[in-house]
Amino acid sequence: MNFKDLASNLGLDEEEFIELVELFVSTSLGDIARIRKAVRDNNAADAASASHSIKGAAGNMGFDDIFTRARDMEMQAKQGSLDGFDELLSGLESMVKALDSSSES
Amino acid sequence: MDNKHPYTVLAVDDNFLNLKLIEKSLSKEGYKIFSATNGPDAREIALREKPDLILLDIEMPGENGFDVIRKLKDNSQTNGIPVIFLTGISEVDAKLKGFDMGAVDYITKPFHPLEVLARVRIHLKLSIATNSLISGQADKLRQLTEAQTSMLPQPEDDPEAMFSVYYRALNEAGGDFYDILHISDRITGYFVADFSGHDIKTSYLTASVKALLAQNCTPVYSPSESMKMINDVLTKILPDGKYLTGCYLHLNRITGKMTIINAGHPPVACLPVNGEPYLVKSKGDILGMFADAQFGIEKIDTNPGDRFFVYSDGLVESTQKKVTWASGADSLLPAFRQIASIPYDRAAPALVDHLFEGEGTMPEDDIVVLCVKV
Repeated sequence: MNFKDLASNLGLDEEEFIELVELFVSTSLGDIARIRKAVRDNNAADAASASHSIKGAAGNMGFDDIFTRARDMEMQAKQGSLDGFDELLSGLESMVKALDSSSES
Repeated sequence: MDNKHPYTVLAVDDNFLNLKLIEKSLSKEGYKIFSATNGPDAREIALREKPDLILLDIEMPGENGFDVIRKLKDNSQTNGIPVIFLTGISEVDAKLKGFDMGAVDYITKPFHPLEVLARVRIHLKLSIATNSLISGQADKLRQLTEAQTSMLPQPEDDPEAMFSVYYRALNEAGGDFYDILHISDRITGYFVADFSGHDIKTSYLTASVKALLAQNCTPVYSPSESMKMINDVLTKILPDGKYLTGCYLHLNRITGKMTIINAGHPPVACLPVNGEPYLVKSKGDILGMFADAQFGIEKIDTNPGDRFFVYSDGLVESTQKKVTWASGADSLLPAFRQIASIPYDRAAPALVDHLFEGEGTMPEDDIVVLCVKV
């Protein structure tokens, strides 16, 4: 992932962008933990709320894949279904963690 | 907004990363950012810091963006702050509701920081222009008030006229007017008028009336001739529908004769030095409306120390209490008894104090009260 281009697209310099990426990763991992717990508790509303949070931040940062995944999860959870969420969540977590390693490289 | 200080923006979003993104983008351009992650904190900061603009997320847990904007608009200290709300692209109802509640614009989420910056800039510019317009209008009205007030003679500048006055315009452009005219040695004219309307035109017209009084209230003309000539000019120069009620007191301190010309004005009150107060009721047409107007004329023999009160209808009328001056004037007589012992140079304000502060009410209209001592 080219952070320099993403930063430039947002009108930020790369250093500022990386700072936001790190914040994004930490908050998103917290939200993922919330979703995981919501799945365990079968609480679709909480899962939708945490997915919404990831979706909003990812959209603004320009992380389109994460945005799309979180949006789909939010929509499904809002309809009361958590089917397949374990798999979706693993994928989402991998995408977020990939950002972390990119920002450290 | 003060140019010496950075413009301030309050960003409200429950998503901490979004707040950081906004903060970074706007602070780079010189804006000072306040952040809040929930509605109550946002309102507290808005009240304390009075930001120049608020960026407000709609979808927040607890107090949502609509609750926040409603409370901001309900508070006189925050209702003038422009609010841009952040909402999802498909939420048309939310956008309409936001506008309905007083927001100036919206930004769809996910937002682009440069779009946020552009919208913040444009709405700050609009806000600056609006504030400048309001401030310019207020300045002009203040100048007008000052000009109008400077046309009103003050008792301390003219002790020979032996009068006191209370003058209060409810708006910057007042509709009431008075003047003192030195017709000759020991003959003085006192004129009180009330223009229909309180607009800017009215305040300019007061200057015309003052000039007409100076030209026509001279020893050559009787008081009624003076008023007739002034009426003749006013019928030609006043805009359609504009008129004034007026009362002209012509006091000859050599003969002790007081002539009162009434042009549709509330009755003059006389407070004799020895005796009970009474109203000098005489019917007359208003000024500036009819070329063949007939005015009420009363001639009174006075004694030194007698006092006459001329006032505008704001002193006695009340739309709230459904009182017109025709009925309200009679209720003044007890008030004159109450202030009878107060020297004439304090009598006009004392009368107003007695009528309003005593009752704990507020005037509903401009008020002028002139007290003349023979």
